[in-house]
Amino acid sequence: MAERVAVNRILLWSGLALAAAALSIRQIAGHAAAPSIPLPPDAAWLDGVILYHSVLPRIAVALVAGAALGLSGLLLQRVLRNPLAEPSTLGVSAGAQLALTLGMLYAPALMNHAREGVALAGGLAAVGLILAMTWRRGLEPVAVVLAGMMVALTATMGSAALILANGEYLFSIFLWGGGALAQQSWGPTMTIAVRLLIGVGAAFLLMRPLAILGLDDASARSLGVALNATRFGVIGVAVWLAASVTAEVGVIGFVGLAAPALAHLSGARTQGQRLVAAPLIGALLLWLTDGLVQLLAGVDGERVPTGAATALLGGPLLLWLLPRLRMFEWPSLNSRPAPSRRSARPYRLIALFAILGAVAVGLALTVGYGPGGWTLSTGPLLDTLLGWRGPRVTVAAAAGAMLAAAGMLLQRVTANPLASPEILGVGTGAGVGLTAALFLVAAPGFGVQLAASAAGAVLTLAAMLALSLRAGFGPERLLLAGIAMSALCSAVLTAVIATGTPQAFALLRWLSGSTNEAGPGDSWFCAGVAALLLATLPLTAKWLEILPLGDVTARSIGLPVRRCRVLLVLLAGLLTAAAALFVGPLSFIGLIAPHLARLAGLGRPLQQGIGAVLIGGGLMVVSDWLARTVAFPYQLPLGLFAALLAGPYLIWLLGRSDARSH
Amino acid sequence: MTARATITRRHALGLAAGAVLLPCLGHAASGRRVAVIDWAGLETALALGIVPVAATELIQFRKVVVEPEVPDSVIDLGLRGTPNYEALTLAEPDLILTSNYYEGQRASLQRVAETLSLPIYQPGVPPYTPAEDAALALGRALGREAEARAFVAGAEAEIARLGDSLRGVVRRPVLAINFGDARHVRAFGDDSMFGTVLQRLGLHNAWASQSSYSAAAPLGIEALARMPDAITVVVPPLPPDVVRGLDDSALWQALPMVREKRVSVIGPVNHFGGLPAALRFARLVTAALLRPETARHG
Repeated sequence: MAERVAVNRILLWSGLALAAAALSIRQIAGHAAAPSIPLPPDAAWLDGVILYHSVLPRIAVALVAGAALGLSGLLLQRVLRNPLAEPSTLGVSAGAQLALTLGMLYAPALMNHAREGVALAGGLAAVGLILAMTWRRGLEPVAVVLAGMMVALTATMGSAALILANGEYLFSIFLWGGGALAQQSWGPTMTIAVRLLIGVGAAFLLMRPLAILGLDDASARSLGVALNATRFGVIGVAVWLAASVTAEVGVIGFVGLAAPALAHLSGARTQGQRLVAAPLIGALLLWLTDGLVQLLAGVDGERVPTGAATALLGGPLLLWLLPRLRMFEWPSLNSRPAPSRRSARPYRLIALFAILGAVAVGLALTVGYGPGGWTLSTGPLLDTLLGWRGPRVTVAAAAGAMLAAAGMLLQRVTANPLASPEILGVGTGAGVGLTAALFLVAAPGFGVQLAASAAGAVLTLAAMLALSLRAGFGPERLLLAGIAMSALCSAVLTAVIATGTPQAFALLRWLSGSTNEAGPGDSWFCAGVAALLLATLPLTAKWLEILPLGDVTARSIGLPVRRCRVLLVLLAGLLTAAAALFVGPLSFIGLIAPHLARLAGLGRPLQQGIGAVLIGGGLMVVSDWLARTVAFPYQLPLGLFAALLAGPYLIWLLGRSDARSH
Repeated sequence: MTARATITRRHALGLAAGAVLLPCLGHAASGRRVAVIDWAGLETALALGIVPVAATELIQFRKVVVEPEVPDSVIDLGLRGTPNYEALTLAEPDLILTSNYYEGQRASLQRVAETLSLPIYQPGVPPYTPAEDAALALGRALGREAEARAFVAGAEAEIARLGDSLRGVVRRPVLAINFGDARHVRAFGDDSMFGTVLQRLGLHNAWASQSSYSAAAPLGIEALARMPDAITVVVPPLPPDVVRGLDDSALWQALPMVREKRVSVIGPVNHFGGLPAALRFARLVTAALLRPETARHG
């Protein structure tokens, strides 16, 4: 049985490698074959130049960059004992990209000589920040991934804001942010190859300490490993690999996460096997993806940047393999949230959050930044401005509240502290539904758009939950599946946006998440939907209390488990879709608000729900206000401020609650 | 009474916003206060002698579009995709110029003032005639019909004159491209303003397929090798790291147009502009083609 499975997997990978090779041969043949039409005399020579300086280095760079990312992901996962660690989730790529953007804007001379150094500094800064934030938690996997995603999102939004604030065209962020592999010389290949060789060498030298690092700290120390020195050394190598790939070809998502996971799923058990398999699979993934991108490119160019397309191939592959594997032994991801103090007087806390929320609303309505500086608006001026600010604030508050409620529901239903609409891909799923509506219906009205987003969100969520209910499907696998699904949906959106049609323009505006277009009609609608959906939360409180105890317990007290789950999923899907329709998918409020409520001391479902709703609404209002005023009259992405405001506070709270529990 | 109340309110708003803006500055000949969302509309309005009260992304407009010049009195409304409605309201326009790419904002814009959509770019349609129509429509709307007709006729005559000066000098096909990064370009086809202008100049556009509408630059540099004969005109923006990348690029250096020095970089011009951008491109491209080192290759 086991042998047959192994043979099957070897067949799978050989098949994929053959496909990639066939695609490469097709590209090479396109330039090496005799031309069928008469060409000017130097055309044949030029074909040779293209073959040697463009086609071949592109294949080579796909292989070495994929391998480098695979190795980088493997090293990070091993050293942090965290199956979700990889260059993207740890913010290495995003940090490197932010540093490159900063360099391009403010120190172009530096960029001419030290592009890689700048990228490396950015990547190291991101990882350093994450390690510093989670050090007190002993680099606990959940905290590291939380911090990593926060830093990555903030850096990505920061790059976008910098580009926007400098007036560069909006499209470039989405398209040039995705890595593209077109080559014109062997330079990038050689650069990455050298780093890869050094990385592989270092990895084999560190094989024994690495294996020991896979155990816990105490055993590692007792076996005489210089714990921190080794750790930092390995992290440094991994970051260097990922940063040089970002500097040479741009951000390539997903390979660093998928390659080690797929290596593991394909039966690589020992440290040595994995060190060989992960880079090989990474190389193969990128090689095949790039071959397909080129195959599908028309005469007028490529449709999707390869860096985004990796998810179109790797996402389904990972989703397909995940449930098929019985012997899936990750280093365990302790997903139980650290027990947090419960407040003795929860309703006082809730009242405090309500007051803070009201203050935020008052601030956002009256204080603004205008041509003459900061102004507190009153009288007739306020009346005029309220026509714009009122709907914005209402929509932001309602959307924040809905995302927070959805996050709370998902975290409870899946018993997974990292579950949230953003991380399980529900928001981007809503986006795919919206896309379908935009392209299938001539001029979709608001109702159609909402219905389609809701369908997308609920379907995505149902798929995630169906996966998570399979026997032995632990919280790590759910998160992996969620990240895969999210990356897949984002890649679909990127591909659609790259078509450049007016629908794409509408989608792009949606994706960048702005409440700018909110009118009175929108605000009534959004507030109405929010009130209606949130009113059902108290009815679910009992289920939410019981479901995390397990199906057996739940059934024994007579709870119709299946029906409860279906209803909760439907509710969470509707909440996410309604919110995402107004503020886009990239807000992070759904992840953060429930944690903030819990860590503040609101433990029971209903209390946590109310707290999260108030916190989510308030945070979104303040973020929206900042997005509107900081670079007036230019508006910045909402998600940047949501992450900037809530991220550090969340990390601080995580550290604090840990300190108390000891 | 009503008029006085309005002026008082406008005055109060101006003071509160800290803007020392005299109402007459934004008036067109018809006395209408115009705000502009779409850049092609802004160019066209300025070319007809209309100074808007407010317009979008002026920092970038001055860098990318260059002419017509935007007077300092025009208030910046922020990004085209997310215009600042508070600033727009405070500018008190009574007509807002927009285009088919901003349909999603129409409802919000109409809350401030009447809108006029001037569509120029539609997939598959050469944009020169729609740009003429847009200028004429704008002239009609703002009581500047004579100026608009004169501008349209003047542009056509000047492009014809520029075309005459190129006749017999340039026989090779011409390729207009823009660099996305050092490895990717966007080529402008017959459904782009640049492609249409090349045609009107009597030149042969080397890029036969339609240009993609996206601002993506989806062609690898190697695609240029398919047009070895072409004279290549590079439209900015051209970031410094692209120049460095091209210097290092063996492929770029090997391209026939690069080896034979048939590449010239022209001044910045709006890629999705109106009639003024068409005229500016015609002038820039003619000057580039008549430069001795390019003309040698005619």
